[in-house]
Amino acid sequence: MDGEAQRATASWENGTLAPVDRLRFERADSPTPGLVEGTEPGAGQKSAMFVHAQSFEDLTAEAEGEAQREALLEKSETDGAEELEVLNIASESKSKEEDVSSEAWRSHRKHVFVLSEAGKPIYTRYGTEEALSSTMGVMMALVSFVEAEKNIIRSIHADGCKVVFLTKSPLVLVGVSRTCQSDKEMLRELQYIYYQIVSLLTLTQLNHIFQHKQNYDLRRLLAGSEYLTDNLLHRLDRDPGLLLSAVTCLPLASSARDVVSASLQAAKAKSLVFSILLAGDRLVTLVRKKDQFLHHIDLHLVFNLVGSSSSFREGEGWTPICLPKFNTAGFFHAHISYLEPASSLCLILVSTDREDFFNMSNCKQRFLERLSKRSAYQALKEALKCPSYSVAQVGIPELRHFLYKSKSSGLYTSPEFPVVYQSDEEQERLMGLYQELHSHLHHPTRPLRSFYRCSKTENLLAWVTSGFELYLCFSPLGTKALAVAAANKLMKWIRKEEDRLFILSPLTY
Amino acid sequence: MSAMRVDAKVVMLGKESVGKTSLVERYVHHRFLVGPYQNTIGAAFVAKPIQVGDKVITLGIWDTAGSERYEAMSRIYYRGARAAIVCYDLTDSSSFQRARFWVKELQNFEEHCKIYLCGTKNDLVEGDRSLRQIDYHDAQDFAEEIGAQHFETSSKTGSNVDELFQKVAEDYNNTALQYMTAEETGVDLGQKKDSYFYSCCHSN
Ligand SMILES: Nc1nc2c(ncn2[C@@H]2O[C@H](COP(=O)(O)OP(=O)(O)OP(=O)(O)O)[C@@H](O)[C@H]2O)c(=O)[nH]1
Ligand SMILES: [Mg+2]
Repeated sequence: MDGEAQRATASWENGTLAPVDRLRFERADSPTPGLVEGTEPGAGQKSAMFVHAQSFEDLTAEAEGEAQREALLEKSETDGAEELEVLNIASESKSKEEDVSSEAWRSHRKHVFVLSEAGKPIYTRYGTEEALSSTMGVMMALVSFVEAEKNIIRSIHADGCKVVFLTKSPLVLVGVSRTCQSDKEMLRELQYIYYQIVSLLTLTQLNHIFQHKQNYDLRRLLAGSEYLTDNLLHRLDRDPGLLLSAVTCLPLASSARDVVSASLQAAKAKSLVFSILLAGDRLVTLVRKKDQFLHHIDLHLVFNLVGSSSSFREGEGWTPICLPKFNTAGFFHAHISYLEPASSLCLILVSTDREDFFNMSNCKQRFLERLSKRSAYQALKEALKCPSYSVAQVGIPELRHFLYKSKSSGLYTSPEFPVVYQSDEEQERLMGLYQELHSHLHHPTRPLRSFYRCSKTENLLAWVTSGFELYLCFSPLGTKALAVAAANKLMKWIRKEEDRLFILSPLTY
Repeated sequence: MSAMRVDAKVVMLGKESVGKTSLVERYVHHRFLVGPYQNTIGAAFVAKPIQVGDKVITLGIWDTAGSERYEAMSRIYYRGARAAIVCYDLTDSSSFQRARFWVKELQNFEEHCKIYLCGTKNDLVEGDRSLRQIDYHDAQDFAEEIGAQHFETSSKTGSNVDELFQKVAEDYNNTALQYMTAEETGVDLGQKKDSYFYSCCHSN
């Protein structure tokens, strides 16, 4: 691990940053960006808030392990084209929403299918599962055919199209993409979908069902949850947090945040494991039981659940939820409610005891009382008025946008999209560019420490150390030297603002 | 934001999309939300004080999700309920089958829970009689057989909704005296003598 850090710092070619030995300075004394995990801007003072150090790898490690054991199967161009012909055979039944034999259906940028090992359709992003049952049958046939030879099918590449398979018994997930995403990125997205399904049912229940009845139609149990998966896929295209394996915070003065955290900490109960306060898609604070960590994937699943449904606005929600990165076997019970009917502040209290609803309700009450007494509530409401910031505040004219992740805290910060990226298409295009940079930096065999790319529309710089990941987007007129100088300036700005942008002192009960 | 006590636990049961949430919305917030249907996740709790004679009774209403996914866990929501509003959609006969399932479940596990059988979306049937799939008299017969009250409501127009909940509260009030002398048994989340206080910021 130490060697890794050394290499990371040494590889920054311009050498404009402080040498390693000067980085161990106290955070307050030095504006120099920390290159070592734990000293970078945004790193929490105590322990990390989430479990990981290398969360991205963590997410795909399993699949890679398999890859080493099993031969990688990649079809040649022509074979692949044939397979895709097969995939295009649509069944006779007509879909209400979208005709799966239409050109429009085929030309979606990214399809995702989930099926059981018996080849029964469970989910499709576009069209209906019924209409696709034969297509999914073919997919399963492909998987089984290759498995029969003690191999595992990973992906098929053909004709500007990529088909990626993820077998997670008892489910099989298939992604079909026309984007330039790497296999690894697509696998990561399929993993998320898998975890989404597990979070609704638990893996234990899934296994139990399919052991009992191989042919089971899982859609019965997932009825009414499709929109959660739809939304998660939408987020995967747009939310930098899912790309970076990190979450972002509501900008808030640390004095106010500390009061909010302390109030949550005080409103504890025996069965309470995590207390999470969200403002829309942003974390205000998270308090956890000592020694219990919440993985960012689980946190994103919670974000997705809360963000996708207006159901929790009706009253106080009380729902079973499995946090698959914590434990795939059992349910937690989450008390979910908004602090006020029209507020964006949502409190999630995760309990181990399904009988504890009134206890949790009581915790919320105590939290609110404490919060109002210490007038932090007002400060918090003020902060909600500007939940993000503009890149202009950084004061680097050629900088358009950036993503910065502190690895040790699992938190990231990013300004709002500038005017040039106002439309949905433009924002998704920029996210696509970041994804590409991300793939380069995290390439399974040839990872890069930094990457600079110029194009007609923008210049991009990505930089990863053992402490942080940084992605910058510049106007296309700048130079590399300018970009590097800007990165350094930005790091200083983030250091200066870290109190407000990150959660530096996470609490436990 | 005051804390108050729940007197009676009421649980809403029924197949998904029969209109349980809409019924609670209409009763508690006097509104009907149009727009895409949002299924309930798990269950939602809301407290609502209601005037019965010269008394105020607070109903603790559990609006459960109809999805089969939560079936195994449904007991935590209906346990200790004094009243269950078992809903079916007047335009969907399969939802009546599901209502029968819930009735059986309650008869087996919650014998003290009073059942209110509620046919929903009456406005649709009034607009077009051919949409009706559950005959009023058939449902009435079933209700009598199981000793339940029977209502047909519309959350869209508000028809019969207040009457339904008023009846629930009155029945509770009438039987409450009987219960005072009866021995309390088992865990009873909504009812436990002193300790359950909660925010009523969601009720008006
Ligand atoms: N016309 C009409 N539509 C209704 C009425 N009640 C509910 N609906 C509609 O039926 C759909 C489902 O209503 P919900 O109240 O969300 O159903 P639910 O029983 O809570 O469903 P789950 O939470 O999934 O169990 C929504 O689209 C409502 O608008 C009614 O009285 N009249
Ligand atoms: Mg509902």
